[in-house]
Formats: sequence, C-alpha cells, structure tokens
Amino acid sequence: MDPIFSPPLHRQRHQFVIDFVKRRKPQKVLDLGCSECSLLKLLKFHREIELLVGMDIDGAKLKKRMHGLAPMLTDYLQPSDRQLRIELYQGSVTQRDARLRGFDLVTSIELIEHLTLPDVQRFSDVVFGYMTPGAVIVSTPNCEFNPLFPGNVGFRHHDHKFEWSRAEFESWALGVCLDYGYEVEFTGVGQPPPDQHQSIGFCSQIGVFHRLGGKGNNNNNVLFCEEAEDVLSYTLLYSKNYPSLHDNNILSRVLVMEVLSGADKLRRRWAEEEETGKRETGRWDYGSDPPRNADGEEEEEEEERHLEMEEKQRAMRILVQRQEVEDRKLFWKDGQGQQESCKVNRCVHIPLVVLWSRYPKVRALAGSIGNLRQHLMDHPDVTLSQDGLAVLLNNQEQEEEEEEEEHDDLDDSGYARGSVEPEEDWDADA
Amino acid sequence: MDPKKPPTLGITGFPSLGRGEGLQPQEPAVGRSRGLLLSAEGPGIGRARGFPTLGDPPHGRGVTLPITDPVFGRARGLLSQAGDSKVGVARGSTLPSLGPLHGQTPPHETTKQDLTDGTSALTRKEVETPTLVPGSALVSMFRGMGIEPPMTSWGRGTAPVGRGATGDSDDVKLQGAQGGVISSPERIGQLEEGMGRGNSFHGRGVSPQTMLGLGRAAMPPLGVGRGHALPTVLAGRVESVSPASEQQAAQHTQTSPTGTTAPVLTTQEVVLSAVAPAKMELKMEAVLKPPNYKVGTKGVPVTIGSNHIPIRCRNEAVYQYHVTFTPNVESMGMRFAMMKDHRSATGEVVAFDGSILFLPVKLNDVVVLKSVRRTDNEEITIKIQMTKILPPNSDLCIPFYNVVFRRVMKIIGLKLVGRNHYDPESAVVLGKHRLQVWPGYSTGIKRTDGGLYLNVDVSHKVLRNDSVLNVMNTLYQQSRENFQDECTKELIGNIIITRYNNNTYRIDAIEWDKSPKDTFTLMDGTKTTFVEYYSKNYGIAIKEMDQPLLMHRPKERSKPGGKQIITGEILLVPELSFMTGIPEKMRKDFRSMKDLNMHINVNGEQYTHSLKQLLKNISTNPESKKELSRWGLEIDSEMVVTTGRILPLETICLQSSSFTTGADGSWSREVVRDASINSIPLKIWAIFYPRRCAEQTEELVSTFNKVAGPIGMRLERPIRVELRDDRTETYVKSIHSQLANEPNMQLVVCIMVGNRDDLYSAIKKLCCVKSPIPSQAINVRTISQPMKLKSVTQKILLQMNCKLGGELWTVNVPLKQLMVVGVDVHHDTSKARQSVMGFVASVNSSLTRWYSRVTFQTPSEELIFGFRVCLLAALQKYYEVNHNLPEKIVVYRDGVSDGQLKMVEQYEIPQLIKCFETFPSYEPKLVFIVVQKRINTTLYSCAGNRIGVPPPGTVLDHTLTQNDWVDFFLLAHTSRQGSGLPTHYVCLYNTANLTPDHLQRLTYKMCHMYWNWPGTIRVPAPCKYAHKLAFLSGQYLHAEPAIQLSDKLYFL
Repeated sequence: MDPIFSPPLHRQRHQFVIDFVKRRKPQKVLDLGCSECSLLKLLKFHREIELLVGMDIDGAKLKKRMHGLAPMLTDYLQPSDRQLRIELYQGSVTQRDARLRGFDLVTSIELIEHLTLPDVQRFSDVVFGYMTPGAVIVSTPNCEFNPLFPGNVGFRHHDHKFEWSRAEFESWALGVCLDYGYEVEFTGVGQPPPDQHQSIGFCSQIGVFHRLGGKGNNNNNVLFCEEAEDVLSYTLLYSKNYPSLHDNNILSRVLVMEVLSGADKLRRRWAEEEETGKRETGRWDYGSDPPRNADGEEEEEEEERHLEMEEKQRAMRILVQRQEVEDRKLFWKDGQGQQESCKVNRCVHIPLVVLWSRYPKVRALAGSIGNLRQHLMDHPDVTLSQDGLAVLLNNQEQEEEEEEEEHDDLDDSGYARGSVEPEEDWDADA
Repeated sequence: MDPKKPPTLGITGFPSLGRGEGLQPQEPAVGRSRGLLLSAEGPGIGRARGFPTLGDPPHGRGVTLPITDPVFGRARGLLSQAGDSKVGVARGSTLPSLGPLHGQTPPHETTKQDLTDGTSALTRKEVETPTLVPGSALVSMFRGMGIEPPMTSWGRGTAPVGRGATGDSDDVKLQGAQGGVISSPERIGQLEEGMGRGNSFHGRGVSPQTMLGLGRAAMPPLGVGRGHALPTVLAGRVESVSPASEQQAAQHTQTSPTGTTAPVLTTQEVVLSAVAPAKMELKMEAVLKPPNYKVGTKGVPVTIGSNHIPIRCRNEAVYQYHVTFTPNVESMGMRFAMMKDHRSATGEVVAFDGSILFLPVKLNDVVVLKSVRRTDNEEITIKIQMTKILPPNSDLCIPFYNVVFRRVMKIIGLKLVGRNHYDPESAVVLGKHRLQVWPGYSTGIKRTDGGLYLNVDVSHKVLRNDSVLNVMNTLYQQSRENFQDECTKELIGNIIITRYNNNTYRIDAIEWDKSPKDTFTLMDGTKTTFVEYYSKNYGIAIKEMDQPLLMHRPKERSKPGGKQIITGEILLVPELSFMTGIPEKMRKDFRSMKDLNMHINVNGEQYTHSLKQLLKNISTNPESKKELSRWGLEIDSEMVVTTGRILPLETICLQSSSFTTGADGSWSREVVRDASINSIPLKIWAIFYPRRCAEQTEELVSTFNKVAGPIGMRLERPIRVELRDDRTETYVKSIHSQLANEPNMQLVVCIMVGNRDDLYSAIKKLCCVKSPIPSQAINVRTISQPMKLKSVTQKILLQMNCKLGGELWTVNVPLKQLMVVGVDVHHDTSKARQSVMGFVASVNSSLTRWYSRVTFQTPSEELIFGFRVCLLAALQKYYEVNHNLPEKIVVYRDGVSDGQLKMVEQYEIPQLIKCFETFPSYEPKLVFIVVQKRINTTLYSCAGNRIGVPPPGTVLDHTLTQNDWVDFFLLAHTSRQGSGLPTHYVCLYNTANLTPDHLQRLTYKMCHMYWNWPGTIRVPAPCKYAHKLAFLSGQYLHAEPAIQLSDKLYFL
C-alpha cells in the first residue's frame, strides 16, 4: 500500500518521531510494539537519548532482530560523551511493569489497532495511568483514507481489530486526556490529495500527548510512590550499554591514549628540534609547524604561537632537568659516546601542564589537572615521574639492539623484511 | 536477435570463432571436456567460449563478442529461464535444430554473459513461450536414457543456473538473513551439475563431472552422451585427473552421435517421468571416503593438534527439494514471502534460495501448496518436490551451516568486521599509536577428508582511533606541498569502516573536487547533500565542510546478475570513516611493530586457550546451542588431534663439505665457515655512500676482506664514491657516470641512510632496468653496530655472491633432468598498477642456477599468457646450459585460492603443456603444485600436555586434507612465535607419477634452497624467489627488469 507515498508511509511515521525527538530531546524513550526494532535502530543515532527501550509481545521476533541494535564498530573507536543504554522487553502493553515507568517519551506506532477494544482500555490505563510518561505519540490508521487505496477492501492488515475514523480516534484520545491528565494535539502523516485534506485527513493519524503540569509534578507522582512495589511482568531480553565516556574505564582509556600519543608527538618533535637546533639555531625561534591537535579545535593563531614559545622554553627546562635529575652521567647533546656504558634507561619528561595546555582534548576529557593525574596514576600503561607532575617516556632515539627477524633479508634492509603479520586483504576472495 | 532463430545465427558466428582458436583443436588438454568434445566435430566452437585467451587473448575476445552477439541473445534467454524450473526446455528447442555440437557452446558462453548483462530481461520474455514444452521433453529424455544418479538431478539442476543469477539480486535485507543461502546455488550448481559457472569452481566437483562441467548445464544432448560414458569415467576418476580428460574426450565424441538423435526420439515423454527416476534415486548419497592415495609414510610419527573442531551432525539427513511456482513468480522477494507463509508445512528451519529448498525434515515426495500473489491476487501453486537426500555433512549443506554459524558468533556477542568476528570489549589500546587491537576469530565450516570441521583461527583486527579526516589533517601538517600525493599514498587501498553502518570499504580514490556539500540522488530519486543526509538519517552533524570525499568502487561482480547491480561509485565522508589496519608508517617502524606484535602474536598456549574460550562461549550460551541444533549440529568441545610425520633431516652440500641440518632447520654458522659451491671473484665494483657514512663504509669494506676468505669469495678493493649529499639524483648521477666509465663493472653497492623508498626505487630502476648491473643497497643502520658487523657483513657478502651469479649451497634431489619452477604474483594493494608475475626456473641439475623472468599483466589479460612465454624462455635457457631439455618439470605456483584451483587445472595446465609442442617430440613429465600460504589451518604439537610449535619438516597428509585433491600440509620453517602455520600444497597434475612421499620430500628439500636465509623457509625457494622478483618489479621498478640479468638472482 505504501508505494503511493514517497517517502513510504512507515518511514514518514518514523521520521515524525525522530523530528519530535530532535525537537524535544527526551532522555528516556520507550517504543511500544517495536516489532522489528526499525524505529529503535533509527533512534539510537540520536544521542540525546540516554535510555532507549523497546517492547513487543513477540519475543522471538525481538530475539531475531536485537543484535542489530548493538553498538556500531566505531562507537568503540570514538566513544561518545553521551551515554546510551538500549533494552528490549518482551511483554504486553496491557500489563504493568515498574521498569517502564517515568519515561520522557513513549511511542506507540501502529499498535493500538492490533488490540481489541477492551485491551485498548487497558493499554490506556497502563500507558497513561501507570507509566505516566512525559509525552506519548500514538499513531493509528485513519479509516477515512481507505477508499483511496485501489482495490482495498476491509482493513489494511488482516490482524487489525479496528480502524478508526478521525472522530473515533479523537474521542478516545480526549477521553484519555481527561482520565489521566494529558493534553493532545492531532496530526498525521501521509497526505491525501490536496483537495481532500479536509474531508479525509492523513493516512496515518497521530496523537501527540503531553502530560499536564510538566514532568515530575502531578498527582500521578503520588501513585508512583504508593505502588512502588515492583511489578515485573515483562521479560528483559536484551540490554546493552553503549561505550561512552561516562564509563570511567573508557574515559581513562581514551584519556591515556590522548596523553600518550600527545606526549610521544612532543617527544619526537623536541628530539628533532634538538638535532636541527644544534646545526641551525635559528630554528628555535621560528619553529616548525605546531603539532596542532588533529581534532582541529580552533585556537587563535596568536595564542598558539605564544604557547609554542612557552613550551619551547619549558622543553629546554625539561632537558636540563633531565640532565640533572635523571642521569647525571648522560648529556643530551653528546651522550652518544657514553650510551653503551650506561644501562639506565633514558627517559623524557613531559610535564602534565604542557599536555594540559597543549591539547584541548585532554582538557575536555580530564576536566582538571588533578583529575588528569588521577587517571594517569591508575593506568598501567603510563609512568609518571615521582612527583606525579610529568609523564615519563622512554627515549627511543637510541635504537636498541633488535633481534634479527625471521627471514630478515639484509639488503635492501628494511625493504625486504618479510612482514611479521599476515597482510590484510579483505577482498582477496570475496 | 530473434531467439527463435538462434541456430542460423549461431552457425554464422562460429566459423569466425573457429578461426580464432583453430590453432589448438588437436590439443587434448585444452581443458574442459567440452572443448574436447567439440573439437572432434566442430572444433572451433568449443573454443569460442572456453578459451578466448588462448592464442592471443585480447584479440580472441574482441572477435568473439561481436560475432556471437546474436547467440548470446538467445542463450541469455535460456539462462534466465532457468529461474523458472522450465529451463531445460529452452535448450531443448534449440538443440535439435542446431545440431548438438553447435548448440552446446552458445548456452555456455552465455551463462557467463548473462550474469553481468543487465539486458537479459528483454530477451527472456521473447524466449519464454516457445521453450516451455520441449523443456519437459528434455528432462524426460534424460530419464529415458537411463541416466545414472548424478544425471537425475538434471531436471532440477538446471534451476541453479538461473537462480544464481537472480538470487543475488535480492536486496540487502534478504541477504542479511539468507546471505549464505543465496550464495549456495553457485556451489550447488557446480557440485551436482558440475556446471561451475563463471569463476567459482568450488574445487569440489569430482573430476568426471567437472569435465562435463560448464558444458553440462547448458547442453543437454551432450549430457546424453555423457550418460553412457559415465560408468567408465567414474572408474578412472579418482587417481588421475588429467588422463581422464583424454579418455572422456574420446568417450564424448563417440557418444555424442547418440546424443544427437536421442532428443528427437524422446521428445514426447512427459514431465511426470522426471518424478519417477527421482524417486528411485532418493537414497542417501554417499560421502566420499577418505582416499589414501595421498598419504605418505616417510618420517617419524608425531602427535599433532590443529585448529579444527569436529562437528557432529545429529540429523539423519538433509532433504533437498525443488520448488516451482506456477504461474511463475519472478520476484525473489515474493517467492521468499510465499514460502515464509507456509512455514507450517515446511517447519521453521529452512534454507531457501528461491528455488532450491533444504530442510532438515522429510516432506512427502511432492507437496503442493497454494498462495495468493498480493499484487494481482492470482493464485499461485507452489510445488515442492524432493530431489535429493543428502548426508548431513554434504558439501551442499556447508553454505547454510556457515550462515548458521555466523549467527552463532553474533549471538555470543562478537562483531563482524569484514569477514571475521571480533570482540571490541576486549580491545587492547595502543595509546601512543592511537590504535586498537581487537581480538577475534575467523571461522568457517569445511568438509575435509576427516569429516565436517569447524575451522577456527585466532585473528586480530587493528583499528585506528582516528577518522580519515584526522589522518588527513595530520598529513597536512607534515607536508603541505605534497599533501594530496601523501594522502593518496597513505589512504588508497586502505579499508575503512563507517560510523553509521558497520560496512567496510576499500578506498579506491580521493575526490578532491567534491565535498559533503555536494548532492547525490537517493533511491527514490530525490537529491540531497551529504550533510543533510547524515543529519537526517543518523543525527550526525558533519563539522568539516571542506573535506574531499573518498571513493569506493565496488567490485562489479559483487552482485552478479542482480537487479540492483551496484555499479558506479560509493562516496564516503572522511570525517565519518575510520581507518583500519596498520598505518604504513608504523609498519616500517621496527619498534612500533614490536609493540603491536606483542599483542597480535600469541603463543601456542594462548592460541589454544582462546579457541577453547570460544568453544566454551558457544556451548554455554543456550541461544547459540539452539541455533546450531536447528540443523542438528553439535560442536565438539575439543580440537582435533591426529598423527603427522616429521620428515627426515636434509643434508646441505657446500663446495667441498656437507652437513646435516639441525633440528631447528637453520645453518647460519656452517654457511660462513666453509666455501660456497661457486663464488664469483669480485674484481671491479663500486661503493657509493654519502659523506656522513664514510666511517661505516670504511669499516664495512675492511670487514668484507676479513670474512671473504672462509666463504670462498675473492674480492678486490672497491671503487669508493663519496657523495656530497644523499639526494636521490646525486646517487643516480654518480652511479650512472661510474658505469659509463667502467663498462666492466660487476656490482654496485649503495649505502643509504634511513628507509627511503624513492631512493631505493631510483637505484633499482637504474641498475635493474636502464643499465643492468647487480646492485646491493645497504641501510647504514644495519652496519652501524660494531658487535654485529661481522655477521651482517658475512650475510651481505653471501647475498652479493648470489647476485653476481654465484651458488651457495644445495641439497640432493634424486631426480634426473629436473627443472623446478616457481611462480608468484604480486598485486598492487592500491590496485593502481598491474599485477606482476614473477617466474623462476632452475636450469642445472643441482638446482643452483636460476633463470628468472617477469611479466606484467593487464587486468584483462590472463596470467597464463605470460607464464607460457616465461616457460618457453626457461626451456631454451635450460637447453643452452645442458644441451638437452628437462625430462621432468615441477611447477610450484603460488597465489591460487581454493576457488581458482579448478581453473588452473582445466585451463592453465593444459596451456602450459601446450608449450612443449614448440620443441619437436618433446613430452616432459609435468608436476604442478599449488602453494597456499594464507590458509587458516594451524598445527601444534602436543607432547604430553605441553602445547608447542611442531618442528620444521612436519607434514600432515590426511584428516584435514581436501577430498578432491592430492594435497598435504607442510610446516617447513621454524616459527619463533605463535603457532605453526603450515603451507598447503595441492598437487593438480602429476604425470611424473611422483609418490606422495616424493612430492612431500621434494617440496621440503626445496624449502632449504633459499639463499637469502640460511635455514628452511615457509615455501619452496623458487616460490620465494619468484615472490621477491615480482615484488621488486611491481613495487619499485614498475617495469620488466633487463633480460641480461635473467640468469642471476639480482633481485634478492
């Protein structure tokens, strides 16, 4: 039937919900009768939502589709700063379950027409009276539109128990509002031919309900407390926390990565500058390109330049510091001769302050230097200086002895070395 | 183009075709039996399809197409009809009139054609009506002929042809659920019918069937002939693949006359008869027993474990049905939907591809169901007719078992990336490098000589924490001037994953002129910008508006014959794409790779532990067990343990001394103590070095002199050329002028600082192509460590000797007048360049002199063309050296996947044999062995409870070997980490009648012969040489090296 609409009607319904979510930014969203989870799959991209729940009576269907709701691969690579949890329940909209109360938005897309009228009554009671969400979107076919379908007799789907006219839908909706303290506006998707809008209405009619008195401030709240004893009639089939920076481990991991890669970049650059600095001292003043943070958070050029200078001075200080503290026998500039005799690992100090000032991303992730230190201290991959003020990196400029690789072809050394790991080729025999 | 009049058209087409191939008709080996068949009476024809590339590939093809065009038109028609079970028909109608011989080929050709040809639809309609009746006749004709079981499947068999084409047309959704199933028809087709359309010979078909191969599906009359021939063929089948082809050919030609008449006689019979024979043969088909003709005996038994887990099948059988829809239902989606509505009849567990249905339950022989087509309310009769009872471990079941298993992997929470499954929750983050390593598995169900196994390999996926845009930004900061070039170098060929779906794409190009603000057209015809699209559909806000876009060109065959052929290009936004794989820069950084390998290389204990963990996760998850049990599958809890053999140690011969290799397969000490077999005195040579390396160079030269004596090298002092800087031009100019001054120069040595691709490439181009001379590049780092200088210098010296044409060591191979050939192909990862074939052949009896060639192939060119040229040249060289031609030629061919084995057997090998005709009455024995390195089989030794790496020389030639080939696994090298990765050898051709023992030992011996490494290596030396040669040519030279160098190992 849908083909007469473009985009298809079911898409339009989903888009309606998405537009609502974009506008209202609900944090907890429940989709009743989520069936193949197609709406959930769309909604999960909208990270305003923190809890996204689907419920359907057909558990087998959910089980078949639920893996499609798992986090994207890239969600693990760049965890979002917003949290998201997706849950799926098998259950009936005519029964109560305490876990589904207090949502910001409940959607019921093309669901109620599959219920018998007494069940619709129970549905109203459960959804509006018990779950008491902040907003409810209910869509259902408008039977007045049916004559426009060619050759269509009866209901649009064999399982439909009824298809309401606009008047019927509105009377039910208004009744609900009266009983449970909501207000409703009517709209729909699926435009009829332009001249018939008045007489026919949308193909799918939609009621958008808002709870009166706003969230958390109404008489239902009392009920909420009274019936607090847990009614758990639904079966939880699926529950997945998306990786997010709210998870302290993940935050730590990301932060450590930023710190280590940033610190290593600085170390390389300093080492480079030192080498060139020996020959062309002029370079100290001008400097090469600043290792701008790859994520491109803009900073004023001037400020950047300023920072740059400051850092260089600091870097100088660090080098001096290392000479004194780390290993008195070694001198940065001509340590070459002595390196073999000395077994102490040479380290480069990267003060946290430098990292902090240099990388906006580190600032954003850590919040404060204290936090940053805390995160780094707890992490096995990071070595801090004794005073906890700097990250220590092994200086790798001196190449250690390398074991000879298997099949190390000498010539052309480096070029001929067989790769240690099998090369990737996903397309090899696809 | 009128489908009803193909005969005439076809005939007109043929003469010209015949011309093209007229050269080869007599040649028996031409390949598919079909070809042979035809050659008897209408030589040209068979050729037309089979070997467009034979004589002169590009031409052949060009010619064929236009001429046969009309034929295609018709053939296509036939093909598409295959979809409707009435397929056979079409052919029936045409054949009689055509005369069988001609008739056969065209359908053939077309099979392929159709797959890619979108226009087929047009022709199909035309053909439909006329063909109906004869079709049934054909089928019945076969029955009438009293054809043996394999034939009975014919009536059904036709179906897969069409289905293969249509099956893939389904949209993504369907594939998701039925992906594997859809792919199955291709295999199924081949297996039963041996019709192996196009490129996917699955290597399973038994030889007699495959000989009929392509032909069969398309050429019923032939089939008849075949029917008679079968019994005899069967007998000869197992052992000798190639001779069989000759026999068969003969039989075919004899019987084909019968074939011709047969159709006419039996046309009257009715479809019903098809049912009857089908019934008769509905016994369980026997799975081939493990053949023991490939098992050797030499060596010491050793207990070997492998990453294969036995799968038990609880079901008694799997039942295969053919489903017909009357009136015909074109839409696959509709067919699926209708079948879905009848789950009450079929049960919930089905594998259905549109016309073949597999069920774990037995229905009545014929089940008739009714459905109503929603579009026009027409009543559709669905007839489900049992065609086969398969043993549950039949090859035909494997595709959908794999689908089931992929679901299981998903159920236990693993993520599909590319084709393997990974666990992002257990990711290891390498902060410094901004990348993650995800542990995971590659899995596949396969049937080997030992039965049905789940093959699990531990796999690691490297993913980068940065989007492609980030990477581009970093590159921009590093080099603004060459930014675009750098990007191209870094990004092209990389695999990326996108943020909004989990798909992987290869970057084929960067579109600098495009940006996310550009528009594209959606399916429904509306235009939208990338920015809008991602915002609307995924709530993703693109931040950078000025980024270029990445382009991916999907493989054209990715959706063969589908309605929605994904042609054209896919554009991707860098900001929303993430890089996978190891960054190029990191790959070259020793230390970083060490960091990485620490996580990627697992030892035997860890390896088996992680496999066991997977098995545990599967067996403790009720959902996954349930999923498996739907098809009655049960996965064992332990990996397979069996007995392999350790081949005897080899004796390495130097000039006057010899020694037995140590158990570790290494002789680095011995080889520098005594003189090599043959050392070329180095009189005039030059060493080029930048000023800053003067000291190291001096050291190197003096060390050369110290270590040369024991090795047997004599070398004069080199001409030393100090370069004022290390720019590429400086090197090139100096080398050039030195070569001009000293025409008798023997060797050029270059000391370089750092890994410099451009410099290396320039030097090699100069010394390998423009002014051919052996050259040795040395990274100053390798000679900067005084402690190691001596051993490094020794190795460099040995290497230089090889490049000059010297000979280091050998092992005794007790085969006289033998030539060993190695072939490998280098593919450019970015696909920007041509593939390069490296070819190396031994030209003396001690296998110490090698002749090498390189050919570049264009994408349309077949490898065999260059192969033949090379082999001929090598034979000539052999003759020059020995004054006779080799009696036995053993070819080690690398770079052939399982799917290509059949092609190599039926096409490449015959072509190769054809070369021999160039020499009068020359018929050498040929052994052709395919070398497969990238396999998912690992072996480990289990002595007591200790799990370790098997010693070099471990061979396994049963249980895990493939049913259809003489094959074995050989672990020749010492692996220091991880588990033993054996190499798989498949012997496709063996007229020298080498026994399994001989094949295995010869191969092992050849693994001792790589002079760049004093020890055993993973593959036979000629393969490794060919690999190095192809790599050098493809990666650095971009041209064929000068022929003057071809008798030296200059590419080491």
